[in-house]
Amino acid sequence: METLDHVLYGFGVALQPENLLFVLIGVLVGTIIGILPGLGPMSAIALMIPIAFGMDPTPAIIMLAGVYYGAIFGGSTSSILLNAPGVAGTVATSFDGYPMARNGEAGKALAIAAISSFVGGTIGIVGLMLIAPGLSGIAVSFGPAEYFALMVLGLTAVVTLAGKNVTKGLIAAVFGVIVALVGIDGQTATLRFTFGLSELYEGIEFLIVALGLFALAEVFVMIARRGAGSEFRRVTSLRLSRKEVTAIAPPTLRGSVLGFFVGVLPGAGATVASFLSYSMEKRIARDGDTFGKGNIKGVAAPESANNAACVGSFVPLLTLGVPGSGTTAILLGALLVLNVQPGPLMLSDRPEVFWGVVASMYIGTLVLLLLNLPLIPLFAKVLKTPRAMLIPLVVVFCVVGVYGLSFSTFDLWLLLGFGVIGFAMRANGFPAAPMILGLILGGLMERSLRQALQISGGDWTVFATKPIPAALLALAVLSLLPAVLATVRRRRGKDVVELVEQRRG
Amino acid sequence: MNTFVVSNRVLAVVIAAFSVGYLVLVSGLPDFVSVNVPVQPATVPRWLGVGLLLLAVVLFFTTDAESEAEAPAEAPAEVPGSKPTDQASPLLGRTGRPWAEVAIFLIAIAAYVALFEPLGFVLATAGFLAGMVWYLGYHRHWVTGVVSVSVPLVLYLIMTVGLDVVLPAGPLPF
Repeated sequence: METLDHVLYGFGVALQPENLLFVLIGVLVGTIIGILPGLGPMSAIALMIPIAFGMDPTPAIIMLAGVYYGAIFGGSTSSILLNAPGVAGTVATSFDGYPMARNGEAGKALAIAAISSFVGGTIGIVGLMLIAPGLSGIAVSFGPAEYFALMVLGLTAVVTLAGKNVTKGLIAAVFGVIVALVGIDGQTATLRFTFGLSELYEGIEFLIVALGLFALAEVFVMIARRGAGSEFRRVTSLRLSRKEVTAIAPPTLRGSVLGFFVGVLPGAGATVASFLSYSMEKRIARDGDTFGKGNIKGVAAPESANNAACVGSFVPLLTLGVPGSGTTAILLGALLVLNVQPGPLMLSDRPEVFWGVVASMYIGTLVLLLLNLPLIPLFAKVLKTPRAMLIPLVVVFCVVGVYGLSFSTFDLWLLLGFGVIGFAMRANGFPAAPMILGLILGGLMERSLRQALQISGGDWTVFATKPIPAALLALAVLSLLPAVLATVRRRRGKDVVELVEQRRG
Repeated sequence: MNTFVVSNRVLAVVIAAFSVGYLVLVSGLPDFVSVNVPVQPATVPRWLGVGLLLLAVVLFFTTDAESEAEAPAEAPAEVPGSKPTDQASPLLGRTGRPWAEVAIFLIAIAAYVALFEPLGFVLATAGFLAGMVWYLGYHRHWVTGVVSVSVPLVLYLIMTVGLDVVLPAGPLPF
């Protein structure tokens, strides 16, 4: 019953006209940015943060959360119509969505995507409400040692799942922490790595890095590919038959539950969830061999899973204050700037933020369904924005966002620098998500490490003797193991091939 | 994108050089002595520098499959028997070489940033938009003109009036 009271309270917050307006704006803007090829939820949230800075925390996070799931939905639109997923989380949608569009069923595919996204989102929110209070109850007892270990686990989890090469992921994460430590050291007031530049005293603003690594780097990628893309498909009728609805119902429900739990895990997010759900449905479906050729279940499964995972990833962010993915890391950065510290105390200290966000998610997913179904043909027009126009505009939005925050051209040069770094990383297979997570967690990690050692009197064994930190750190090491083993095995395999070739030669 | 792929060995050397330079900077950080602190300002950075160096060594000896970088997304496979419903958009830019395109784009943004304060937001943005949209090959010049004048003006209005963010005015009187 208590949960119900909280939810009602949350609806009271979310249904205030101002907040309702921001849900609408967030979902709409998120969808539009998500539709644009190449721009995913991370770019979308980063682009919207400058606007959120001037707002109260509750409407701001409500809007940003709306941008998040709007962008995921928008991404599926470009997956289906263009075969160009704007987001990794909607790649699996294109497997059957694009063939459907090719068969003249683009409208149907989009309608299925919207409906299964709605179901996935709704089930995810129910899960969030049920799990979050309990989890934050446990997390209240967490001390700095536990937090340090948790953050290490979050980083390694993102590293193992973000890219194929763990070494490159770890390098990106370490580089992120290195960037985080620039500026005045909070405990000892020592200047670190500022090179005498007063602009660096307060550290590097995460928004600059986020916009550079995601939005600007993406623009560079478009330029390097010279805008080559896929062909565009026209939107057709959105109508579904009753038979089709019954066909997609079980995969949607399974995908939602699976997606939510995958989303809760640190590191695994919408991408992993959608692929898992897709391959599971393909295996259990009687018509599994038609997957990839335009099977409606192949759209419903990944779409419900990625939206549920999207909501699931809010669980660690809101209850532990530790983001499990690049996107929630950006959200955490935004929250910190808004003076909201997510974590176990947020439920008791700032219930209006927590329950307001939860309730606004309900409204947001509903808005997504009601607004997007009729507007799909209109959104499809966004896809026709010529890239020659789109690219310079994205640059301008990045520049305005950064300058509006700090009023310094120094930061604009930094933005350009991180854009170039982000582009070089993308071209060479370095994932950007671990870097942004390292950047946001870096300062927090050092602080918890210090507090933990301060409490233990400088005794480093606390991390091994206290059960929770020890278990979390062991898990972090274990999470890296499979990838390390795979690398070793690949190397050995390669050596054997080389040997064979040498003998042949 | 293949033009921009560097071998793991070169990457490893660059990263190793960076971490050595970083460690040199770390060694210059003073210890905090007024109170006993278990974690000195240099402690975590030293770990990071050493860790990065080790990772660079590992990377040097890692040979990865080509699929590591995002190669396959470049050329969308032609679907037999399908006709595009809209004409494919022409390739962006003018030189035909990705390196040159990225370099020109980089220089354009750098010029935009450099002129941002002297020229003011509206003029610099209008110039950047018009120049880049034209360069990238958009043909309807009147649309380019309208967009490059209206977008900076609207943004300027929203930011200065709506959000109280002062953008540089430059020589313009408002």
